[in-house]
Amino acid sequence: MKKIAIFTVALALCGGALYAAFALNSAQEEAAPTLAAQEAKDPLVCFESRKGASEVEQREIKPGLPNVKCSPTTGAALWYGDPFDGTVPMGKMPGLEKLPEGHAVVKPRSEKLAILPMCGTACHNGVGPSANPPALPKDKRPTAIPVMESLVPDLKDLQHGRGRIWCLDCHHTTKRDKLVDHFGDPISFDQPQLLCGKCHGDKLRDWRDGIHGKRIGEFASDGKKRWFTCTECHNPHNVQDGERNRGFIQLQPEPPPQLPNGMKDARHELVHPVAH
Amino acid sequence: MTPAQPPSLDSSQTQPSCSATPASANPAQCGSCAPKTSRRDFLKAGGMLSLSSLMGTGALMTHSDDAHAAAEWGEHFQKNYRLMTEQEKIEARDRLQRRYSAEYGKPVSVDITGAQPGVLMGYALNIRKCIGCRRCVHACVAENNQSRGTRPGEKIEWIQVLRMERGKFEAEKMDHGYPEGLGIQVGGNAYTPAGQVLEGQFHYNPEAVPEKDATYMPIACMQCEKPPCVKVCPVRTTYREGDGPVVIDYNWCIGCRMCMGACPYWARRINVTTPVLPKAEMNPVTHYLGNRPRMRGVVEKCHWCLQRTRHGRYPACVEVCPVGARKFGNLLDPESEVSKVLERKNVFRLKADLNTFPKFFYFYD
Repeated sequence: MKKIAIFTVALALCGGALYAAFALNSAQEEAAPTLAAQEAKDPLVCFESRKGASEVEQREIKPGLPNVKCSPTTGAALWYGDPFDGTVPMGKMPGLEKLPEGHAVVKPRSEKLAILPMCGTACHNGVGPSANPPALPKDKRPTAIPVMESLVPDLKDLQHGRGRIWCLDCHHTTKRDKLVDHFGDPISFDQPQLLCGKCHGDKLRDWRDGIHGKRIGEFASDGKKRWFTCTECHNPHNVQDGERNRGFIQLQPEPPPQLPNGMKDARHELVHPVAH
Repeated sequence: MTPAQPPSLDSSQTQPSCSATPASANPAQCGSCAPKTSRRDFLKAGGMLSLSSLMGTGALMTHSDDAHAAAEWGEHFQKNYRLMTEQEKIEARDRLQRRYSAEYGKPVSVDITGAQPGVLMGYALNIRKCIGCRRCVHACVAENNQSRGTRPGEKIEWIQVLRMERGKFEAEKMDHGYPEGLGIQVGGNAYTPAGQVLEGQFHYNPEAVPEKDATYMPIACMQCEKPPCVKVCPVRTTYREGDGPVVIDYNWCIGCRMCMGACPYWARRINVTTPVLPKAEMNPVTHYLGNRPRMRGVVEKCHWCLQRTRHGRYPACVEVCPVGARKFGNLLDPESEVSKVLERKNVFRLKADLNTFPKFFYFYD
C-alpha cells in the first residue's frame, strides 16, 4: 500500500522535473533563431493604398507590436498597429467644422513628392530664360517639355479630362509647388480634395461623409481619424489607365486560400462542368 | 476487476483495482473482493492515492514556467462566459494572460470589455469598388491569430472573396442548346457563367486584379440579428452580444459543427488541427470573445475585431482596404458612415429571403 503510494509520489515528482527540463530546453531552442532573424532584418517599407503614393516604414511601437505589418507577397501594408503614425492635422475643410479640433488628420503628401521643393526654385521661379517675368503660353495646349516629362512620366500621356483640361487647370500658375482653386488661390498638395472637389463635387460630398474613400482610426463619427486624401488612392495624371476597367489601378493580389481537399486547381469546375 | 482472478494475499495490490471502478455495471462483481480488505485500508489507500496525484499535479502546476497547465486546470472548472460573474471573468482573464504570455514569449493582454451602451455595430461594403486584392483576408489573419500552417486544414481565413464571371451571351451559341439544333428547352447560352460563382473561383490568382471579366464579392460573418448558428448551438456557446456581433466562448465549444451547417453564409471555420500560430506573428492584443488563440476542435469566425471595436477602433479589414470599399460604424448614430450609406445608397442584404437580418450591407454607387 505505502510502497505504491511512495512510488507514485516519486514518479509524479520525477515526471514534473523531467517535463520542466524539457520545456526549458525547447524554449531556449526556439528563442535563439527568432532573435537572430530580428537582428538580420532590414527596415521594411511597404506601400499603403497604391504603389507610388504613401509609404510606411515598419518599426516596433511596443515589444512584439509593430506599427504596421507588410505583406511578404506584394509589399502592401496589411495591418496597422498605429493608424496615426506620421500624420498632421488636415487643416480647414468646409463641411467638417463639426469635428473636434485635431480629430481629422492626414499623412502629408508634400514630403513624399521628392521634386516638389525644387519646382518653385529651380525652374518655375518666376525668372524665365527669355522673359522676366515669363509670358504665359498663348494657347492652352500642353507643350511637351523633355525635362518635365522625364521627371513625371505620366505626363507623356495625360489621361485626365479626356483632353479637355491641361496642367494649369490644377497647378498654380506661378507657385508650382501648389495647386490652384477657382479663385486662383494656392492649395497645398496635402489637401487635394479642395482641388478635386471643383469638378467631382458628388465624390467630395461622399468623401466628406465617409462613404467614398478610406479612413482609419476610430469609427465613431466624431472620433479621431486619418483621412486618405484623393491622390493617395488615385493617380491624377493617369486616372483612365487603359489596362483596368473598374476605376482603380490594377495591382497584384494577395495569395489565395487553400484549395479544398481533392481539388487540383481553381479551374476545377470549368474543366469538369456539371452535366444537364 | 475480473472476478475470475484469484484473490491475492496482499490486499494493497487488489485494493486500487476495486476502488477504481465504483460505477461498475454489476455491483456483485466487485462484491466478491470487497470482504478481503477493511474499510480502514480502503480509505487509507484512497487517501494516499489522491494525495499523491494532487502532489503530482501540484508539482506540475507550481513550476514557474508552466502557466499552461495552471490555466488548463482552471479552465476545467470555469463556467460559460455569459454566466460568469465579473470576478470570475477577471480571474479567467488573468489566467489566460499568464498562459499566453508564457506560451508566446511576450506580454499578451486578454480584454473582457463588454458591450458599450448606445452602440449597435453595422458594416457596409461597396461591391462596385472591390477589386479582389484579398488584403482584407490577410489583414484579418494578422489581427485575429488564425492558424496559418500549410498542411490541409491548417490554414484558416475568415473572409472569402468570391469571384464572379461576367460571362457573355453570344449569337453563335443560339442553336447549340438542347434538343440539338433547336435549343428550345435548354438555350445555347445556358452554360454561360454570367454572374456566377464557381467553386474553384475563390482561389483565383491572376497577375493583377481587378480582372476585366470578373466582379468580386467578399463574404464573411454577417452578424445576423436572427443568427441561425445561435439557434442550433447545443451548448449555447455562441450568442449575440449586446452591441451586435455574434461571438463564441471557445472554451465551451464542443466542436460539433452544427453552426457551420446552419450558417447560410459559409462564415464559420473549425480548427481540425492544432492551430499553427508562430510566436513572432501572434497579435498580443486580444479579446476573450475575439482573437485570443484558439485550441484544436473549436469553431471560430469573424467577430468584427471586438478587441478593436469595443475600444472605438475600426476593424482590421476596414483599415487595409486599398479602395475604401469597406465601411464600419454605429447604426444608432445617424452621422456614422453606415447610417449615411443606408440613407443615401442602394443597399441590399445577402440572402435576405432567409430572414436572418444581417447587419452587413452591400451597396453600390
